[in-house]
Amino acid sequence: MDSTLGANPIGTRAAEANESPGRIRVRDFTTVALQLALVLLLLRQFQIESASFRLLAMLAFGGFAVHAFLPLPARLPFFSVLSLISIPMVLGIVNGAWLVAIGFVLVAVCHLPMSFRVRGLILLALGAVLIAQRAKLLPTPWSEAIWPILGSMFMFRLIVYFYDLRHDKAPVTLAQSVSYFFMLPNACFPLFPVIDFKTYRRSHYSVDAYLTYQKGIDWIVRGIVHLILYRYIYYHVTLAPSEVTGPAQLLQYLISNFLLYLRVSGLFHMVVGMLYLFGFHLPETHKRYLLAASFTDFWRRINIYWKDFMQKIFYFPAVFALKRLGTNNAIIIATLYVFLLTWMLHSYQWFWLRGSWLLAWHDMLFWVVLGALVVANSLYEIKYGRNRSLGKAALTWQRTGLTVAKTYATFWFICILWSFWTSESIADWLALWPALKGPYTVEALLFPLLSLIVIALGSVTQPIPGPAAAAGHAQRAWGRERAITVASLLALVLVSIESVHTRVGTDFATLVHSLRSGHLSRLDNAKLDRGYYEGILSVDRFNSQLWEVYSKKPSNWLDVENAGLKRFVGGFAQIDLPPSSVSITKYGTITINRWGMRDKDYAQARPAGTLRTAVLGASSVMGWGVGDGETFEALLEDRLNTEPLSAAFEHVELLNFGIPGYQPPAQLVAFDKALGFQPSAVMFVATGREISRSAAYLAEVVHKRLPIPYPELAAIVDKSGARAGMDEAAALKLLQPHGAEILRAVYERIARHCVEKGIRPVWVFLPQVREGSWQEETPETVRIAATAGFAVINLADVYQGHDIATLRLAEWDEHPNVLGHRLIADALYRALAANPAALFGTGPSGK
Amino acid sequence: MTDALMQRIKNFIMEEFLPGESPDELTETTPLISGGILDSIATLKLVMFMEEQYGVTFEPHEIDKENLDNLASILRLLQSKNPTVA
Repeated sequence: MDSTLGANPIGTRAAEANESPGRIRVRDFTTVALQLALVLLLLRQFQIESASFRLLAMLAFGGFAVHAFLPLPARLPFFSVLSLISIPMVLGIVNGAWLVAIGFVLVAVCHLPMSFRVRGLILLALGAVLIAQRAKLLPTPWSEAIWPILGSMFMFRLIVYFYDLRHDKAPVTLAQSVSYFFMLPNACFPLFPVIDFKTYRRSHYSVDAYLTYQKGIDWIVRGIVHLILYRYIYYHVTLAPSEVTGPAQLLQYLISNFLLYLRVSGLFHMVVGMLYLFGFHLPETHKRYLLAASFTDFWRRINIYWKDFMQKIFYFPAVFALKRLGTNNAIIIATLYVFLLTWMLHSYQWFWLRGSWLLAWHDMLFWVVLGALVVANSLYEIKYGRNRSLGKAALTWQRTGLTVAKTYATFWFICILWSFWTSESIADWLALWPALKGPYTVEALLFPLLSLIVIALGSVTQPIPGPAAAAGHAQRAWGRERAITVASLLALVLVSIESVHTRVGTDFATLVHSLRSGHLSRLDNAKLDRGYYEGILSVDRFNSQLWEVYSKKPSNWLDVENAGLKRFVGGFAQIDLPPSSVSITKYGTITINRWGMRDKDYAQARPAGTLRTAVLGASSVMGWGVGDGETFEALLEDRLNTEPLSAAFEHVELLNFGIPGYQPPAQLVAFDKALGFQPSAVMFVATGREISRSAAYLAEVVHKRLPIPYPELAAIVDKSGARAGMDEAAALKLLQPHGAEILRAVYERIARHCVEKGIRPVWVFLPQVREGSWQEETPETVRIAATAGFAVINLADVYQGHDIATLRLAEWDEHPNVLGHRLIADALYRALAANPAALFGTGPSGK
Repeated sequence: MTDALMQRIKNFIMEEFLPGESPDELTETTPLISGGILDSIATLKLVMFMEEQYGVTFEPHEIDKENLDNLASILRLLQSKNPTVA
């Protein structure tokens, strides 16, 4: 921290601050304002966080411009008003009003003219009511959209606030209370640092205004850098557990999994940096946590606000209550108590953000293990002390080497422990480690070496430990920090410009382009594909962008999984549609005919003079999200009859064999069923990630011991070494390398049987209605389909020129809507018009 | 007496946490908690020392940066507990 007084510009500012707190020279304000303009540009160029956040940032920076020149007594009330305005901006007027009203009630209870005990009991009672409402045991007149933000504002801060009301004698003003709970960036972030109330009050213009604002910008920029680095890790480095096949992949998995935490540290830096703009000279939220040299060091560096919160509210009171047992014993017990509570409060936080309690063995074990390590470390420090210095510590090779070794060991241990904590289950984590038996290649050295270099550099360039930095050093540190901030800002803005990053090279341009927007990674897209996320127990889930998508989903959202459209039939495909049923949804009626197709009724025998096409696919083909007659299949059928493309047929029928959840191997069952309807053609609609989904489905089949009635698929399973009943993750690891082979077997079987029976096989690629990484398998899939013998229709650009958001049901439900289906039908019609032989054949009767 | 009291606390801090460091570097305004000299364990040791030496009792909520971040504030806290302490 650059707060040393002395005969230097920084010291001069500090002296001025004492005389006229909060004032800033116009020149300094202009410097800050210009940097904030660059920050806004950077937020826009890299699409940092959500559109709501970027709007909120504009409000904050615009508000800062006014706030900086207000008389000091008016600033906190102004900040309070700005904070209150931000809430309906993000949540809407009605939800915002409810959130503020609930908040005011809670704060008001804290100030009732009663004893603290009674106030505490009333708060507990209100908390119980809110918990019941969050758990949907009691009704609420407000939308559940407010819960994550309401929780984030009050679940911990109310505890600190009440504690400080009890013990801090300084009177509390309305502006302090309102601004503390509703503080400006919080409306956008369910994850928010636990800011201490006493620190919050004391820090307000405690340091020169310009120094404070500038530090805020430093931290905002640092936060943005963390978030961009996070994106790089998230999009390009993370691996699925099933992809961990050797030591190199294992190390990549371990390090990338831990580094996803950069999102939290990035957000927290940005949030606190924004608070600095309003005069709050708050402590650091994270302090080079990747360079922790021991477990206690790690605990002290990572999420410092959480550590301070636990220390103040639970740790010190526990030590004091136990000191009759001796200081060391009190420290040990209190430390374990803090980690137990951290586990419980993590679950408590989860409840407010997700509406369910998190109870997972590996979550508890993680905190137990970390707590035990911190206790052991603490005992060591009690006995042997630790390095401290009042001045510049002499850098020796020995000292540096030892520090690097300890930091390196701590870092990798934390990576391993973190991988345990974030696994879906203990079994899934254990399934990772056989990868150590895999081939040891040069690639296995990459991440160990990279981390060693970073740690070594970081250890050598650590800020001077101890407080007595000389005035000259403070001046140099100030200058260096300014240079880093401004250089980072300018460099990032420059790199984000397309004409700049394309000049460097295509690979670099592609990389920068990928980092310039927030979207789901290929792994999260795969999870979204399988409708898989709801059941995941990954405990850091609320650090995930996929969680953010799902957190917006109303709990009463009707999706295809809970719409009553499944009939369990066992066997290889497991499910199909319930025949002769009608489902009324908010999108319209879904009628399943007597044959179990989402379609009008047809005779089983193909009428004479009719081209009958069996359309195979999953929920997009079935038409989840649109009513009867609005599916692209129905629209195309109508158009092919009213605007015929072939004179060879009097009539065209498209039979919808789409079944939600059917992955490519399961389509073989649909194909066998379709053969019973004498199709003239088969149209297989593929929607992306066909290879991965094929392997994943077979892994599920193997795990469930389902029969595999297709010899070619059974042979692949046998070859892979996957055995019936084995853990699904382990089966997937064995089958994934055979994904393309599985898909080829499926397509070749369908195409071969079509040819034998004189049926024309057509393969349609239908893109998913989402941005982001899901298309990496498409080129290979197209090749497999063409090689198998299908006539290929590629609708990759069907949605071009349209905003994706207008074509899907919701951000969390990317089935095409009515407009999407119309576009698909039109595109298919155009494609068939360009090549009618693909469907209709070439002869007089279509042969 | 105040100087002597401060010197005793300073000596404790130097011996326990800063062995080998120059005492002249530790002034009455040197930030101890925010400067990384006193972590939670060291803070507790200091507090226990003062309780034993001077017969005062601290409350958990008093263990914070405002009261213990430098020698001057530590002295103020101690004397607020027992004005006669020397």
